Amino acid sequence: MIFSSITFLFYFLPVLLIIYYLVPKKAKNIVLLVSSMLFYFVGEPKYIFLMLVSILVTYIFGLLISKYEKHSKILLTVALIITGSFLVFFKYFDFLIENVNLFLNNKLDLLHLALPVGISFYTFQMMSYLIDVYRKEVPAQKNILTLALYVVLFPQLIAGPIVRYTTVVKELEDREHTFEKFSKGVTRFTIGLGKKVLIANVIGELASIFLASGDRSVLYHWMYGIAVMMQIYFDFSGYSDMAIGLGKMFAFEYNENFNYPYIATSITEFWRRWHMSLSSWFRDYVYIPLGGNRVSKIKWIRNIFVVWLFTGIWHGAAWNFVVWGLYFAVILLIEKILLKKYLDKMPKIFSNIYTCILVMISFIIFNGNGIKDISENLLGLIGYNGIPLVSAESIYYFKSYFIIFVLAIIGSTPLMKMIVNSEKLKKVSNVLEPVFVVIILLVSTAFIVDGSFNPFLYFRF
Amino acid sequence: MKVKNIIITALFSLITVGFLIMNIAIEDKDISLEERRKLAKLPEFTKENIFSSDLINKFESYAVDQIAFRKELRSLKSLVNVKLLGQKDDNKYFEKDGAIYKIEYPINYSNLEKTTNLLKNVYDKYLKNMNVYYAIIPDKNFYLEDDHLKINYDELKELVNKKFTNIEYIDIWNELSLDSYYKTDIHWRQEHLEKVANKITTSMGNEDLNSAYEKQNVGKFYGTYYGQIAAEVEADEMYILKNEIIDNAVVYNYETNEVLGVYDTKDTNDKYDIYLSGATPLIGIKNPNVKNGKELLIFRDSFGSSLAPLLIEDYENIILIDLRYISSQIIDKFVEFKDGQDVLFIYSTMLLNQNILK
Repeated sequence: MIFSSITFLFYFLPVLLIIYYLVPKKAKNIVLLVSSMLFYFVGEPKYIFLMLVSILVTYIFGLLISKYEKHSKILLTVALIITGSFLVFFKYFDFLIENVNLFLNNKLDLLHLALPVGISFYTFQMMSYLIDVYRKEVPAQKNILTLALYVVLFPQLIAGPIVRYTTVVKELEDREHTFEKFSKGVTRFTIGLGKKVLIANVIGELASIFLASGDRSVLYHWMYGIAVMMQIYFDFSGYSDMAIGLGKMFAFEYNENFNYPYIATSITEFWRRWHMSLSSWFRDYVYIPLGGNRVSKIKWIRNIFVVWLFTGIWHGAAWNFVVWGLYFAVILLIEKILLKKYLDKMPKIFSNIYTCILVMISFIIFNGNGIKDISENLLGLIGYNGIPLVSAESIYYFKSYFIIFVLAIIGSTPLMKMIVNSEKLKKVSNVLEPVFVVIILLVSTAFIVDGSFNPFLYFRF
Repeated sequence: MKVKNIIITALFSLITVGFLIMNIAIEDKDISLEERRKLAKLPEFTKENIFSSDLINKFESYAVDQIAFRKELRSLKSLVNVKLLGQKDDNKYFEKDGAIYKIEYPINYSNLEKTTNLLKNVYDKYLKNMNVYYAIIPDKNFYLEDDHLKINYDELKELVNKKFTNIEYIDIWNELSLDSYYKTDIHWRQEHLEKVANKITTSMGNEDLNSAYEKQNVGKFYGTYYGQIAAEVEADEMYILKNEIIDNAVVYNYETNEVLGVYDTKDTNDKYDIYLSGATPLIGIKNPNVKNGKELLIFRDSFGSSLAPLLIEDYENIILIDLRYISSQIIDKFVEFKDGQDVLFIYSTMLLNQNILK
């Protein structure tokens, strides 16, 4: 079940809200737990048991790590291996076999395993819980149902953000429900829904049209590159907004996952603004334990490559994701060693353009379907192979999608937020906010009802 | 601030719970007249399919199809998409000068190859000793002068011509104009087909058509494009052409064994079905006014239904064959192929660009 669906908006969510707000406080967690399990089950009926087993393992080892301090390191290692092995097996086994088969005469059979939905997200959440217990940042959760709720809570279960146990531990036990939290949650959810349905899906359709078309021109390639950039951002950040908004509706406060990454003036800054829950996870649980930048230069470079290899491969079991991750590793190193001082001195518009172009290239790699496809789409940006500058089809779609592009570009900056929150317009904003919520909700519903394009981009995660 | 929070909470609850109640309370519909299709039904929740991840997709299809105010929501989407977001088409539909069009683009070379191969095989198998002709009906986008995407019509004609080397081509494109088509439908208007019919019949060796027609208004026609896009478009007026020949013609529906007239006034979802009962695999027209032994076979799509009545004049018998509904492998079980028959392949560019013939 995805958030931008009629089933979720007008069946699951209203029924859940009614039950949740009618039951007494003591029962609210159970309601959330059962509904989250149901939410997961309807989309992933076969592998819900895998998630339940992982939760059980996490629960038991959390208690053991907490109780047996002397052996906590070994216990943590075993726990991480067990929880991680599920992820590795289901996500990477066939990828490993495919690559091994390149060197074998007698090919090994692939298992054709379906990736359990959300496994990367919930596995990382469980791992972070275990590590935080080991580090004594948080006591082990003695109530298995509360721990289960942390893992399966439906707002962030299948598409993030990766919520740390420390962020929500207090709210799991006790949280205050207010109109203010709920309404802020509604507004945030609605913004996310609008981003996903009205921008991401619409501009994503252009990317699909390009890929299905035989027509090629420099203009068309640039349109495709920007469309992919915008689709991924608005889909992912929209989903995070919906998750954060839903969390607030149930009185949970999640951390932000995106902070206007397309205004960054360096790739270094970009990754402080993009998918922050993942980058901070790798920073806290891989980069820093490896020594971070407080080691020799060689080891520091190693640490960067390890983190970015993992970051790439986390996104999917295919070589383009590996290349994508390592691409950023190289650029980050170049920035840190060489470019930073120039980027800092440069007018921001230029350093922003530099960043956006590099990010666009990265997403063309990310979205690519094989080396040939990726090279064609990259080289097409510079008119390689004699493709024309424009074509009738590209001009048609440029005109058709021009307003969407403008809205997407504006929407990817904090301009609207600044306008809405400005002192002069605050009173007007307060009056218009309910109107905005209703309009976006209804228009998004209309687009879901009549749209044929509503992809779930996270099936590889 | 507090009032705002309560208002937002109330509005959100009203909308989500309101739609929930309406979706449950309002009876499910079987079909959508605007969309010309059956609507999804509530899937069964059985022991077997409850563990299938497909069940949620089926439920979502049902929820989307049966949502309250579906028609109004679709109109809202179309309005926002075109007027606010500036999209040049909405799900490939667009409105221009009070008429609705659907983008037919690009040429699907694979489909075109498969379709023309099938028709060529029909020619090779059954029709070699007959007088065989073909015509292509342009979709109305051809006559529209604007920047919406269109297929390369010359290229399509050339590709078909390369396949149909032994078949004489009848060019009817100059006999039509934008006005020859309905504003709210893909089809051409019968009352604008006299020149087309004459061009075809004379190309097949017949004399100019003599008959004059009486034009009878059969009411408003809300074509297949009506309601696909939020636009201020009026319904078409539909006409049928009558004369003594058409009135006396006897139509036999091979599928239903019914004996009918040329114009079938049975109530259906598509008023265009008035012409020879709409979608039928095999239909015959006998002309009692003529005893010349001449027979015409028309391999056609739906456009042929409104054209065929205007060709009756020169033939004792016309058989219309729609290969969308009957396999080309078995037509000889139902149709007698005789040397010297006239045969006409007449298909629209839209059909040629699909792969739906059997």
